[in-house]
Amino acid sequence: MRGGHGGGAESPVNVTPAISPPRTLQLPPQLLNPPHFTVATHSREAGKPWLEGGPREEQRVAAAAAEAVMASLVAVQPRLQPSPRFSLFPSSVSDFHGASLSCPVQAKRKTWGSRGTLQVTASSSTKKILIMGGTRFIGVFLSRLLVKDGHQVTLFTRGKSPVTKQLPGESDQDYADFSSKVLHLKGDRQDFEFVKKSLAAEGFDVVYDINGREAVEVEPILDALPNLEQFIYCSSAGVYLKSDLLPHFETDAVDPKSRHKGKLETESLLDSKGVNWTSIRPVYIYGPLNYNPVEEWFFHRLKAGRPIPIPNSGVQITQLGHVKDLANAFVKVLGHPKASKQVFNISGSKYVSFDGLAKACAKAAGFPEPEIVHYNPKEFDFGKKKAFPFRDQHFFASIEKATWELGWTPEFDLVEGLADSYNLDFGRGTYRKEADFSTDDIILDKSLVLQK
Amino acid sequence: MAAAASSLLSAPSSSCSSGHRRASAFPFRFPSSVSLTSSSSFSTISSSFPSMFPLPGRASAPAATASTAFSVSASGEKKKVLIVNTNSGGHAVIGFYLAKELLGAGHEVTVLTVGEESSDKMKKPPFTRFSELVSAGGCTVWGNPADVGKIVGGAAFDVVLDNNGKDLDTVRPVADWAKGAGVKQFLFISSAGIYKTSDEVPHVEGDPVKADASHVAVEKYIEELSFSSWAVFRPQYMIGSGNNKDCEEWFFDRIVRDRPVPIPGSGMQLTNISHVRDLSSMLALAVDNPTAASGNIFNCVSDRAVTFIGLVKLCAQAAGREAKIVYYDPKAVGVDAKKAFPFRNMHFYAEPRAAKVFLGWSSSTNLPVDLKERFDEYVSIGRDKKEIKLDVDDKILESLKVPVSA
Repeated sequence: MRGGHGGGAESPVNVTPAISPPRTLQLPPQLLNPPHFTVATHSREAGKPWLEGGPREEQRVAAAAAEAVMASLVAVQPRLQPSPRFSLFPSSVSDFHGASLSCPVQAKRKTWGSRGTLQVTASSSTKKILIMGGTRFIGVFLSRLLVKDGHQVTLFTRGKSPVTKQLPGESDQDYADFSSKVLHLKGDRQDFEFVKKSLAAEGFDVVYDINGREAVEVEPILDALPNLEQFIYCSSAGVYLKSDLLPHFETDAVDPKSRHKGKLETESLLDSKGVNWTSIRPVYIYGPLNYNPVEEWFFHRLKAGRPIPIPNSGVQITQLGHVKDLANAFVKVLGHPKASKQVFNISGSKYVSFDGLAKACAKAAGFPEPEIVHYNPKEFDFGKKKAFPFRDQHFFASIEKATWELGWTPEFDLVEGLADSYNLDFGRGTYRKEADFSTDDIILDKSLVLQK
Repeated sequence: MAAAASSLLSAPSSSCSSGHRRASAFPFRFPSSVSLTSSSSFSTISSSFPSMFPLPGRASAPAATASTAFSVSASGEKKKVLIVNTNSGGHAVIGFYLAKELLGAGHEVTVLTVGEESSDKMKKPPFTRFSELVSAGGCTVWGNPADVGKIVGGAAFDVVLDNNGKDLDTVRPVADWAKGAGVKQFLFISSAGIYKTSDEVPHVEGDPVKADASHVAVEKYIEELSFSSWAVFRPQYMIGSGNNKDCEEWFFDRIVRDRPVPIPGSGMQLTNISHVRDLSSMLALAVDNPTAASGNIFNCVSDRAVTFIGLVKLCAQAAGREAKIVYYDPKAVGVDAKKAFPFRNMHFYAEPRAAKVFLGWSSSTNLPVDLKERFDEYVSIGRDKKEIKLDVDDKILESLKVPVSA
C-alpha cells in the first residue's frame, strides 16, 4: 500500500508495536559477558603453556601491537584484558549479544592484528538517517545502534511487517526506548516517484541502503538528496569473480554476470554520481533472526537427529559473518574519512569447511557431533529445491582492509556466533522456514552416496 | 666456487673476498671495533616508530619495493647479519634470497652453511649460486653450527638468523652462542606445519600448535633467552629460482610430457605457494624493524591460497599446455600420499597477518607471472627433455585404469 501517492510526501509516522513482545528470558550471567579478545599472537587458554596461551605473552604482544599499529586515523586502545562492555550494545541489550555459554563452548581468543575496536561514535553531530528496509535482519540491529548513538533514524518500508519488534533478550525498557524513537516512512521503494518526493521532502543526511538490489532503485534516492553526506550500501561478496586464488580482496576482479550483478551495477552507479558512497560486501550473514536458512538449515537437522547431507567432499571453504558484527561495521563507516568511496569486505575473521560448519553448529547448540553424508549433487535431480544452503565452491573474503582502515574487528568467532544465534533464536523455538527434509531423503534413500 | 677448508683460521677462502675485507688472519671478518654492549645504534631505532601506518598494497611489485614507511625509521642503519643455513631441503633457498636482499640494502652478511663446502650437497642450487653472494660483498663459510662461535671467531653480529635447525639440539648451540655474544636480534625459521589442524582456516599467528612438534620447543627456547629482539617465522611452500627442493617442477614434469597429473582427494585442498622473495622481504623488514618485529610469530607466506586444482591450471597456463587431472584416493590405491604428492593432503593454509600488521609487509607473489618465469627456467635448463621415471604415478594410474599417454 503506497503512501502519499500523488499528494505531498507522507509524514514519517512514529510507530509503536501492536504485537505483544515474545517471552523474555533472564539470561544467566555467563551470557552477559562479551567474548574475550586480545591481540595475542598466541591464543588464550588459561593454564596452558605459553604457546597455547598465556597472559604474560598476550600483554606483551598487546603492548607491542598497540605500539605498532598506533597510527591509523582510528585510535587503537591497547587492550590487556577484555573490556567490560565490548560492543556498542548497552548491557541490557547485550543480552542478545552474549555468546558464551549454555553450551559447552569456550569463549576463546580471537583477534589477530589490529585492535581497533574503539567504537568511534562517528562525528559529534546527530545525523538524520534513512534506512531503506531495516525491519528484518541487518537493519534491526543497525537501527538500534544508530538510535543509541543519538541519531534520528527513519525506516523506509512498505509496512508489511511490524516496523519494530522486541528482540529476544532485549529488555522492555530498551525496546520501549528504541521503538519510541525510531521513525517510519511507509512506502514502496519500487515506486521511484514516491521515493524521490518523500525523501526530498524530508531531507536526510545519510542513507543506509540495506535492501537495494538494482541500480535503478538508487537513482531516485540520489536525485532526491543532492546534499547527501553519505550513501552506505549493502552489497555482497557474491560480486567477486570466482577464482583459484583466495581469499578475495576488495581489489579483485568482479563478475559482471553473477547473480549479484545488480549490486555491482549499483556500486558503479554510486561511483559515477559523485556522491560520497561506501559499499559493504558481506559473505554469508548469520545470527538471530536470520531469514536466510544458513545456520537454521543445520539446526533443523541436528534437532531432528538427522544426518547432514553435504555435497561432494565437504572440504569446500566458506565464511560466515555475524549480523551484529556487520551492524557494527555499518556504524563504523558512518562519517569515517577512510570509508569515502571505498568497498569493504565484512565477515568473520576465519573461514570454515562445510564439514567443519556442520560440526560447529552442533557444538554451538550442544548437540552431539553429527553424522555427515557426502553425495555427488550431479547424481540427483532436486527440481527447484536447494539441497544445501551454500554455493558449492570455495568462497571467502579477506576482511583485513576493514580492520586496518576502519579499526573494526568482528567480535564473534564461529562457534560463539552460532551459539548466540541458537540461544536467541532457534533454541527458543523460533525460525523462519519450516524444516524440509525432502531433498535429504532423496539423497539418503539413494544407495549411491559417497562415504567419507 | 673455490674449494676451501671449512676452518676459517686457515688461508682466506676466496668465497669471502670482498672490497670490505682487510688483510687479516681472519678470512672473512675482523672483530668489530664497536663493542657489542655499546652498540647503541640498534636500540635507538625502537623509539622512533613511524607515525603513519601504511596500508600494504596489493601490488605485485618486486620485493625491493616492499619496504614501506616502516623502514624509514631504520634507514641508514646497517647491520651485521649471520645466516645459519641448512644445506638441503625446501628452506635452503630462503637464506640465499635473504642474503642477497640484505647485501643489496647495504648490510654485511655472512652465510654459514651446514657441512662442508666440498660436499655433494653444494652441487645443487642455491649453493651453486653462492658466488653471487660473494660478489655482492657477502661472506660464505661452512661448518657445523654447533661450532658457530669458533667458525666466526670473534666476529660480532647484530642479527642471527637460524635457517637450519628443526629441533632444540640443533638450534640451542647457535642461540646460546648468539646470546652470549650479545647478538641483538635472533630470528628463527620454524614451520607452519606445527599448527594444529582445524576445520577453520587459515592458520593465524597465535593459533594452537602441536605441542610435540620439535620446532615448538625451539621457538619457546628462543623466547626465553630474551634477546633484545626475537621473532619466529613459519613458512610453507616456496617457488623461486635457486630452490633446492622441487615444488612447481613436480607439475611441470607431468604437464610438459603430456602425462596426467594425479591429485589426491578432491583437489580442493588449499595451500600456500609463495615466491621466496616474499619470505626474504618479510625477513628483511624484520631486520630493519627489530622493535616492531620483536616477540612475534610471523606466518612466512604469501597472502593467497591456491587449490591443488588451481595450481595445476596455473602451471598448465604457464607451460602453455593443457593438463589432465586424475583424482585418486591414496589409501585405496595403496600409496603414501606424502611420497606421491608434493604437498600435504589436506587444507594447509596460513595467512601472513602479523607481518602485514607489525611490519607493514605486503605480498608480491603473483603465481601466474611467477610460474611463467619458473617454467621458462625449467625449459632453459633442459628439464623438459630429461628422462624421468614416474613410478608412483604409474602405480596410481594403473590402479585407476587410466592410460598413461594422453
